[in-house]
Amino acid sequence: MPAQHATDSTWLDGVAAELARSSAVALEASDELLAHYGDTGDATTQRAVDALVNQAAGTLSALSECLADSSRELQGA
Amino acid sequence: MTASLVHGDHVSCSRVGGGMRREASRLRQHAQSLEQAVGELTVRKGPEAEAARPAIVASWQALRAAADVLDEAGGALQRYATDLAEGHELGRRAELRVHSAGLLLDGTRVIEPWGPASAQEAERRCSQMPVVQARVDLATAHVGRARGRLARQMASLAEVLTAQALAAHALTAQALARLPATT
Repeated sequence: MPAQHATDSTWLDGVAAELARSSAVALEASDELLAHYGDTGDATTQRAVDALVNQAAGTLSALSECLADSSRELQGA
Repeated sequence: MTASLVHGDHVSCSRVGGGMRREASRLRQHAQSLEQAVGELTVRKGPEAEAARPAIVASWQALRAAADVLDEAGGALQRYATDLAEGHELGRRAELRVHSAGLLLDGTRVIEPWGPASAQEAERRCSQMPVVQARVDLATAHVGRARGRLARQMASLAEVLTAQALAAHALTAQALARLPATT
């Protein structure tokens, strides 16, 4: 029979800290994507790549926000 | 010399693709940490565990999904960089053939140079044009296929990322709704 533990605040704090770290990494990744440019050599392809890079940066930024809020939610639990 | 036939910089494309995959790897590591936390939740009982579960599970899944898409996009760019490098080489060889045949390139079209030429020289150039044009077409078609493939992949993955951003915003709204008011 598996051991059952009470959910202690220390454990939740640890998960909240991991969520906060994940949030920071997602935001860094968002910035990093926008810092580089790949020259595809073709206007149509370039637009598709640029659109993806911008969307990826936006998604990671939204994800960072989401993770930060989840972290705060756990800290307040 | 190759710039006139095949444009683009495969090194910069490879660098961007590699950067995407590195960031995807970092995100995956954190997703794994959250996955472990979800695993631990199964042995932790109580109202706190139940309350924490939705946020942790949703965060883990969102992080992993974003990492997967980023890795796929990076891989697509790296494959394109390889195709582009091959295209540059094919283009370089095609241009050498154009010049050695005494012909010229007008964009991607092989043409005869202006000016007087002997009948023999004009006939020789003319006879070589189809073969030389085929070499040029091989290079441009190779790169064209790679560009079409990359553009389709980028468009498809951008749609997935858009959906992920919307989901992240919805999760944020849910988390904020659960947080106690601070004012």
